[in-house]
Amino acid sequence: MRLLGGLWVAVRISLISVAISIVLGLVAGVLMTSKNKIIKAIFRVYLEIVRIMPQMVLLFIVYFGTTRVFGLNLEPEISAIIVFSFWGVAEMGDLVRGALISIPKIQYESAAALGLTSNQTYRFIILPQTIRRLIPLSINLITRMIKTTSLVMMIGIVEVLKVAQQIIEANRRVSPNAAFGVFAVVFILYFLICWPISKLAAYLEKKWAA
Amino acid sequence: MDFNVIISYLPRYRDALLLTLRVGWQGVFLALAVGILCAVVIDLKIPVLRRIVGFYIELFRNTPLLVQLFFLYFALPKIGLLISPVVCGTLGLGLLGGAYMAETFRSGLENIPPIQKESAESLGMTRMQVFAYVVLPQAVRSSVPGMMANVIFLLKETSVFSTISLMDLMFTAKDLIGMYAKTIECLTMLVVFYLVMLLPVSILGSILERRLRFAEFGD
Amino acid sequence: MKHTLKKVGALLLGLTLAAFTLVGCGSNGDKTVYRTVDEIKDKGTINIGVFSDKSPFGYVDENGQYQGYDVYFGNRIGADLGVKINYVSTEAANRIEYLQTGKVDIILANFTVTEKRAEEVDFTLPYMNVALGVVSPDSRVITSLDEIGPDDQVIVISGTTAETYLEETHPEIKLQKYDAYAEAKTAFENGNGCAWANDNTEVIAFAIENPGFTVGIPSLGSADTIAAAVTKGNATLLDWLNNEIVELGKENFFHADSEATLLDTYGKDYEDTLVVEGGVVAAK
Repeated sequence: MRLLGGLWVAVRISLISVAISIVLGLVAGVLMTSKNKIIKAIFRVYLEIVRIMPQMVLLFIVYFGTTRVFGLNLEPEISAIIVFSFWGVAEMGDLVRGALISIPKIQYESAAALGLTSNQTYRFIILPQTIRRLIPLSINLITRMIKTTSLVMMIGIVEVLKVAQQIIEANRRVSPNAAFGVFAVVFILYFLICWPISKLAAYLEKKWAA
Repeated sequence: MDFNVIISYLPRYRDALLLTLRVGWQGVFLALAVGILCAVVIDLKIPVLRRIVGFYIELFRNTPLLVQLFFLYFALPKIGLLISPVVCGTLGLGLLGGAYMAETFRSGLENIPPIQKESAESLGMTRMQVFAYVVLPQAVRSSVPGMMANVIFLLKETSVFSTISLMDLMFTAKDLIGMYAKTIECLTMLVVFYLVMLLPVSILGSILERRLRFAEFGD
Repeated sequence: MKHTLKKVGALLLGLTLAAFTLVGCGSNGDKTVYRTVDEIKDKGTINIGVFSDKSPFGYVDENGQYQGYDVYFGNRIGADLGVKINYVSTEAANRIEYLQTGKVDIILANFTVTEKRAEEVDFTLPYMNVALGVVSPDSRVITSLDEIGPDDQVIVISGTTAETYLEETHPEIKLQKYDAYAEAKTAFENGNGCAWANDNTEVIAFAIENPGFTVGIPSLGSADTIAAAVTKGNATLLDWLNNEIVELGKENFFHADSEATLLDTYGKDYEDTLVVEGGVVAAK
């Protein structure tokens, strides 16, 4: 089934973006807890942009806008990954910030009292706890990204929906009502991919909440 | 940048903004209604209905709006259900949002300690009274931040309406680019219009969140 | 409260600035985005923008292969340049954008030559004739634009000549716009509009392939031509293509193309009215 090929494109884009988001998101999150006013302001604006701008708008700006402004020629898939990472880093960063803040101050102090440097404190005490809190949340982010990949057909990437349309087109003469079946299959496909992942996230969240 | 172009496009963007807002808010209200209804059904543990609602929530939370719209708009007419673009957009947003709102609201309901219900009942309140005076107000308050996030999310999701031929902001920009190729002007205006539409909502969200937090006791 | 306001103000300012730097400062579009013939040959691949949902001109068949009248020509271009072809699926509204940003080297997507578009891209010699046409269901065949009432909606595809024509000459007609051919066709089939206006080639094909629909207005607006297009200023590729089209005319290539791809749909009758051979439009 060619639909599955299209689905793989969607999943690949979101996995790469999530990987980038997690790495950069950790860095961003640590920076966000900084007391420096300028850094804080920059991240505030960044978060707000991501929160307000539809991913579709960002896709268009990156895909068509960058070529206009910088003369960069980006492959559609690269632009999609850039946009998804841009969005993912902000979300992850905010989650990391939340997780970091939620770690009681006393832990930092105890670590310092034990003679750990601030780098060591982060590496051995704070990060492991943060990561555990973050894993369910980032798994959730994967499903949201997979869902949002349905937009990339608008910048010419042939993914599930586009393949679906092409199949309907190719068979229009033979079976004019194919649209119902094909779109129903796409609907179910997305559900089958995203549902187990979000169940897993919910399970982990519950398990590690204690 | 050519400001004459921008001025000549303004009316189109204004129309698009109005349409986006109209369909967007209708969708949001539908979503709120659906969401609260579903959350109550789950919270009160109504038998069969609860299963159906649970399935609906999972289904719509785990599929993209674009795919839902394709299904509603292009597939359903094949079995005799023809709906207009505006209805389809509202319905799509409402169903997607309903699933999200239900989740948000349900966790609000769950957060209320059982002891409160028990105390209220021991004071002689009926189950309906407990729900209306004790549970509901607190649940609404604690789910407000999540709901505001959902509202922004839903209004953003209108950007996929172009596939069902609704002239929302995104489609207007694409359409103008297609006809007159003034990419930079069109995209800039697009960004500005989204800011105008969503920044107030976002700010309102943060203010509400802060207000409600101060209004709580203890904590 | 004052504090919040201050913050909000700063935020607004910051966002607006960010927005402008993101898209705003791009008026210096002097850099060449296109690739010359030699550069394409060096890379060994050419990017050609085609439709993937406009049968029989550019579509994807059951096996996932690009097919159609435009694609047949594209394959020949690739063979004669000696490079591999990477077909990029485009929508009508993106075609100019794809060229101007150098995402594709050539657009072969049933691109009608118009003056407005010629300001943005460079057209080659034509390879097909076209006008506009309107198709409607048998239950209510529309034979003149006057029959379209104030409550009727006409389906068009965003970024096509039909859209521009109707907007400029008949602003009173309500349009229902779609991104892609596939969407427009399905919506029309479903009964979402009273008629569909597009290139007459396309609506004729639709009426032939789908029983129950009739082309009530076979020709509307001016008689135009369809040509390949390249990024404005890409002279080497433009010259190469023009030369190719003239050369191909000697072997009646486009008639062969039409017989291979269009015959099934249109039959023999339309061949001579559709095909433009060697870049020369026959006098009517």
